[in-house]
Amino acid sequence: MLKPGKFVLAMLFAALPLALIAALVSGPVPVDLGAALSQGWHSDSSDAVILWQLRLPRALLAILVGAALGMGGAAMQGMLRNPLAEPALLGVSSGAALAAILLLYYGLAWLSGWLLPALAIFGAFCAVACVWMLAGRGASASRLVLAGVAINAFLSALMALALNYAPSMFAMQEIVFWLLGSLANRGWDQLLLAVPFILFGGVLLYCARNYLRALSLGEDSAASLGFRGRRYPLMVLLGIASAVGAAVAVAGTIGFVGLVVPHLMRPLVKQDPGRLLWSSALAGALLLLLADILVINFVGAQELRIGAVTAFIGAPFFFWLIVSARRGQQL
Amino acid sequence: MTVEKHLEASCLKLALERRHHRVLTDISCSFKPFELTAVVGPNGAGKSSLLQCLAGVLAPTVGHIELNGEAVEQISAAERARRSAYLPQSETPAWSLSSADLVALGLLPWGRPADRERRVAAALQLVDAQQFAHRPVTQLSGGELRRVQLARLLVGEAPLLIADEPTAALDIRHQLQLMQNFRRQADAGKTVVLALHDLSLAARYCDRILLLHDGHLRAQGTPEDVFTPALVGDVYGVSCEFRWRDGVADFVPLDLL
Repeated sequence: MLKPGKFVLAMLFAALPLALIAALVSGPVPVDLGAALSQGWHSDSSDAVILWQLRLPRALLAILVGAALGMGGAAMQGMLRNPLAEPALLGVSSGAALAAILLLYYGLAWLSGWLLPALAIFGAFCAVACVWMLAGRGASASRLVLAGVAINAFLSALMALALNYAPSMFAMQEIVFWLLGSLANRGWDQLLLAVPFILFGGVLLYCARNYLRALSLGEDSAASLGFRGRRYPLMVLLGIASAVGAAVAVAGTIGFVGLVVPHLMRPLVKQDPGRLLWSSALAGALLLLLADILVINFVGAQELRIGAVTAFIGAPFFFWLIVSARRGQQL
Repeated sequence: MTVEKHLEASCLKLALERRHHRVLTDISCSFKPFELTAVVGPNGAGKSSLLQCLAGVLAPTVGHIELNGEAVEQISAAERARRSAYLPQSETPAWSLSSADLVALGLLPWGRPADRERRVAAALQLVDAQQFAHRPVTQLSGGELRRVQLARLLVGEAPLLIADEPTAALDIRHQLQLMQNFRRQADAGKTVVLALHDLSLAARYCDRILLLHDGHLRAQGTPEDVFTPALVGDVYGVSCEFRWRDGVADFVPLDLL
């Protein structure tokens, strides 16, 4: 007999392939999934092209980006010992966003499908490096957050400036849409660019899982348990920069997943910050895939941006959090 | 998994500066197996800082620390964690883990031993906390949480145990139980170092006393040697007396000096 927490996790795990199938059949054009699958990768039939070149990479990207955001959020909350932390606090998202915006501003994004995401990942790493250096030697969690807030504020100011002086309405629209986050028109190029970074980040965070566990006792106790020095915090920061930076680079800024998902998963893994990593990756993947299915099936004049969908999921979550806190439950 | 059963720790000419303030000055002392040592002194004397240096949480500005004659710089952080366990003065759990899961964190330096659950249960039993093994730590009272944290300290196999004011927040029954526990650990060959405020408990259970004052080591020796009204009175600024009865000391503070 499975315990309730494990049962829900098993359900989430089972739901992921079902959601994947749902994502593959979703779209404006009905596709015969069985035929398209059997025709294979190289087939020229329209069904196969839609499936293999459009829907599959998009669905896989949703899974990958969601997993990176969920895992990054879990690591961030674990490292800062704060349930309200999210990866964006470290400037990862705004670093990636600013790099992308500059490219859109100068209208260079069309040069190559690789250029924008590659530069955005570079931007994410630069922002985290700035935060790390600003926080200084032996920085405590609160000093890291403070440095993150400072760098974030500066990057946001630069982004506002870029929007303010956008060369054309078209560039401005592109920037705003990019900031809202989207998985539309993403293909294998973006997926293959993001995969190594997200995997590398995931491996780093997984290696730091015992550090995050020890940190639930506080920094001094973690140090006495053998997690001393700059190595472990650096590992977590690099992991977040790599995974979340790559996710933002290919999909734009998608908020709330990194904040909400670890919160929801924590009771299911008995509050263990180590197991929270992979369970948040799983739930983040599922959440973003479902959100993207909603986006695909939403019929309107304008494409619905996935960042707007996750924000709509995030806001009620906080209402629920406040209500349960008022009932005297633990935050 | 090989762990040395006995461990001698020495601090050699230790000095610690934090924000241009001298916290510890020129402290040399050593801690031996089978010995229960109490570090005592007024607030701000440097007790916690000395314990933090010994546990590897702080690095001394000058001087160095040896474990079994080996300088700590030569020992990896993980190995050092297997040699010494440390409980800070205050430790607030960030997440609402169950008591048993919090205690299990004390086994992190040893990976995931097969008999993990048995050891956790045994450690909880030691501090009389088995009845709330499955309760979230955020729902425990201050004293109950302290006992669970002590179980976390005792669950591993570290031959050197360091605890900062372990008796604070405990009721008298659990204070006695705890000191008896530490006494048994020392009798079994562990090296135990505690920071204590209760001089009666220190005199009754400890083999050796380190008296700190203003970052300096004022005296060290047996309780009988250190706990004299003149010395304690001078360091704490109170007039006091020690009433010894069958090896049990009663410390009675009389008035401010």
